[in-house]
Amino acid sequence: MATAEQYLKPEVINQIKRLDLRAQFIVKGFLHGLHASPFHGFSVEFSEHRKYTPGDDPKDIDWLVYAKTDKYYVKKFEAETNITGYLVMDLSRSMGYTYRQELTKLDYSISLAAALCYLMIHQQDPVGLLTFDQQIRNSLAPKARRSQLGNVLSLLANLQPQGETDIANSLTQVAAMLRHASLVMIFSDLLAEPEPVLEALYRLRHRGHDVILFHVLDEAEVRFPFDGMVELEDPENQQRLCLDAAAFRRDYLDEIEAFRTTYRRECSQARVDYVPLDTSMQFDRALTEYLVSRTARG
Amino acid sequence: MTFVNLSLLGGTALIALPIVLHLIMRQKPKRLEFPALRFIQKRSDVNRRRLLLRHILLLLLRAAAIALLACALARPSIHFSGALGSQEAPVAAALVFDTAPRMEYRHENLSRLQSARELGLWLLAQLPSQSQIAVLDTRLGPGTFQVDRGAAKQRIERLQTVAHSQPLPRALDEALRLVGQSELERKEVYVFSDLARGAWPADSVEALQSRLKEVPHVGIYVIDVGVKQPVNYSLGELRLSGQVLSNRSSLRVETELSHTGPAGDRTVELYLLDNKGNDRKRSEQSYALDGDQSQQVEFHVGSLGIGTHQGFVRIVGQDGLACDDTRYFSVEVKPAWKVLVAAPDPPEQTALFLFQALAPTEYQRRGEARFDCHLIGLSELSRRPLDEYAAVCLLDPTPLEPAEWKKLADFAADGHGVAVFLGRNARPAESFNTPVAQDLLAGKLLRQARAPDGDVFLAPGDYQHPILSEFRRLAGAVPWQAFPVFRYWEIDAPRSGVGVVVPYSDRRPALLERPLGKGRALMMTTPVSDRPDRDPWNLLPVGQAWPFGILVHGMMLYLVGSGDQQLNYYAGQTAVLQLDPQQSRSTYQLFAPGEDGFPLSADLTRHLLVISATDQAGNYRVQAGGTTGVDRGFSVNLAPEQTELRRVAEEDLDKVFGPYDYRVARTRQQIERDFSEGRVGRELFSLLILMTALILAAEHFVANRFYRQ
Repeated sequence: MATAEQYLKPEVINQIKRLDLRAQFIVKGFLHGLHASPFHGFSVEFSEHRKYTPGDDPKDIDWLVYAKTDKYYVKKFEAETNITGYLVMDLSRSMGYTYRQELTKLDYSISLAAALCYLMIHQQDPVGLLTFDQQIRNSLAPKARRSQLGNVLSLLANLQPQGETDIANSLTQVAAMLRHASLVMIFSDLLAEPEPVLEALYRLRHRGHDVILFHVLDEAEVRFPFDGMVELEDPENQQRLCLDAAAFRRDYLDEIEAFRTTYRRECSQARVDYVPLDTSMQFDRALTEYLVSRTARG
Repeated sequence: MTFVNLSLLGGTALIALPIVLHLIMRQKPKRLEFPALRFIQKRSDVNRRRLLLRHILLLLLRAAAIALLACALARPSIHFSGALGSQEAPVAAALVFDTAPRMEYRHENLSRLQSARELGLWLLAQLPSQSQIAVLDTRLGPGTFQVDRGAAKQRIERLQTVAHSQPLPRALDEALRLVGQSELERKEVYVFSDLARGAWPADSVEALQSRLKEVPHVGIYVIDVGVKQPVNYSLGELRLSGQVLSNRSSLRVETELSHTGPAGDRTVELYLLDNKGNDRKRSEQSYALDGDQSQQVEFHVGSLGIGTHQGFVRIVGQDGLACDDTRYFSVEVKPAWKVLVAAPDPPEQTALFLFQALAPTEYQRRGEARFDCHLIGLSELSRRPLDEYAAVCLLDPTPLEPAEWKKLADFAADGHGVAVFLGRNARPAESFNTPVAQDLLAGKLLRQARAPDGDVFLAPGDYQHPILSEFRRLAGAVPWQAFPVFRYWEIDAPRSGVGVVVPYSDRRPALLERPLGKGRALMMTTPVSDRPDRDPWNLLPVGQAWPFGILVHGMMLYLVGSGDQQLNYYAGQTAVLQLDPQQSRSTYQLFAPGEDGFPLSADLTRHLLVISATDQAGNYRVQAGGTTGVDRGFSVNLAPEQTELRRVAEEDLDKVFGPYDYRVARTRQQIERDFSEGRVGRELFSLLILMTALILAAEHFVANRFYRQ
């Protein structure tokens, strides 16, 4: 029998075509696995009562209302200070890559972004969306209304990867656009020179934004599963290279690990949350990262 | 190296094929989209070099596989020796048969020689027509090519073992000399041997190898007709207590009963021949032997009358090799040797130790003393005629008159023995250094040496001298240290011809010998006449003095010449009998074992009888003058190496041939195979095909790893 946790698996989510359902399933699966309300302990104020549903913490049950009505109601709280979240999506051609012909890096990122959007809207946090390739392409101003969820998902569902990317420049533009301190959640494969990108991240941090960097790579980019003679082509600049894959695997894995280590180290210094992901990983890792960040802000 | 299909070697040109394919048909790699190419580009140069190396490795493997295949199909072969010409070309062949007595060893109802004969006849039929064939055995003498194949066949059929067989390398040397003279291009030597160790001695290897160097292009085939695990009982060489004995002493016969094979029991008997030549059993002993074990056998025979006595020791029962089951012996028994002992006064006291050692009172009473000792004072020496004595002993002599020295020197030169034991009476020393005294003595006296601490004693280096022969069995177990020498005479450097028989532990001479004419003189530099309670020069005769007894016995036997007459020989040796000048005759009858007598002339000037026809083991008898005349005898035995069945080790056989090639075969199939390899050469086809398969496997492995999809 299917359980909610199943929806944390990318191969299962891939079978659900509607993005809103995807987001819903991911979040429900995630919350079910937590065994506790993610909102407990946040600095919030009472806003209204609602009916008790399984999954709510029993200690939130309002026993006075129960005494009066003989029904379970829980106190609903409202964040004292809302977090404005921005989902920043890389639309480069390389984000459309998939080796197993399942979820592309962009699909994975969109599913994740949708889930986060779903989560945030339910938290009453305003969420906005930015997409970029060589510059900012789409922009959706942050709102906390429930209708915002539909807007964001609608935009996400129509995103297509295209052309080359300039992550550093785009992030610099983002930094310039955002006036208030926000939570910037970046989804990118970071396939560019790391120094300018890191500088742009420093700039975002300098402006007071909290940054979560979701570094999404394809499973093949992390494991290099090729064998024999292969000719590899970069989809963005069409450069080609002929090589013996089996002989090169060790070298490649060393390189990619060094690349990730660089980002991990630099982000740690800049207090940027760096989340290395690949398209075979479950979504809960990303969601946990968001919640930890949210807690810190709260 | 030769090729059966030389033209197929042209197939090696096909190695061009993989090279062309490599150049024009490179495999297309699988094209894939991969965004993270930037991480690969960093190390692409190293990768490209690795790729190139793999390509070259693959190319080489493929080219090697094709070249090896072409080479294998051309059927190359290599020759182990210099065999030349086609397989049907006439050959100069020498067939060498080992005819040592051990070739009589029977296995599966065939003697080794019979097996060799069968194989030899078969081999003879295999040789190409017009071949020159020589058949040699291990007798002494040069070999020749047989007139025709029929003569060779007849020669093989008439082969017999000989009692004295020369080593196989020597016969092989002769065979190589013979085939080396042939004008035929192909030369082959076949050696039929049981590969016994005794047939391949290391000392005859050098001549063989230099011959092989002279005639290098000869195929040598050793055909093994031996039995790998023989079962046999054998008697070793007989050791007699003496070949010339006193009629008062008994004969001791020792030997080893050896056994190869599983455990078993055997009885050993000793027979003596009577006057008519009939054998009479005198003793027998039974032994139980485990596998590959040997046991000491010892017989004592007493009551032998004066004259020549012959006999044999044999193992009862049959085994594979009969000729080593019987060993023969001859001894001559003479009256007890008369020995004159001259000692200082009172002679009964001063000569007591020597007298008791040579002729103990108990032995004298029983009439068993080996020596008939007469004791006189030194002063009586000049008056006593010496002719009737075989030896004279001077105990601690005082300075003698020149006439006495001369008398003793003449006595020794006449074929007798003189022993001088120097002691405290040898003063002044100059009187012993006069020329007339030095005609007898072995060296000049220098001074008396003293060793009061008792740390000097007799210390024989080895026991090879006949005087010390009885000590050989004991070797290091003789307690010479228990008999210290406190004083002795230092001798000037021994002159030429003088030998030190026994030194002291400080390396100075203790007992010296000097040949004088037909006889000999011994000089001991410390006396054996001192009583232990009167400041003795040594303690040699004191306590458990058995070494002293054995030593003086050895000295006397040496002086009376008991070991001079050799009566026991190996087959092939020349026997020499010394004749009594009183009874010497010009013609004698020699009776070889199992044969009628034939006349033999004596060397009357030297009073010797020389017999060279000793090629048969057994007891030989020499007679002249009927029943009252001369009756002498001697025995001939097979040399131990002639009946040694232990096989030569492979590495020892390799040493015999050194760097030169040879083949060993046992069966006809092996011989045929060796022929084929020797004449045509060893085919390399299978080896090359195997190598091709290995290279193809390597190519497959590398390619699979390389182009894995």
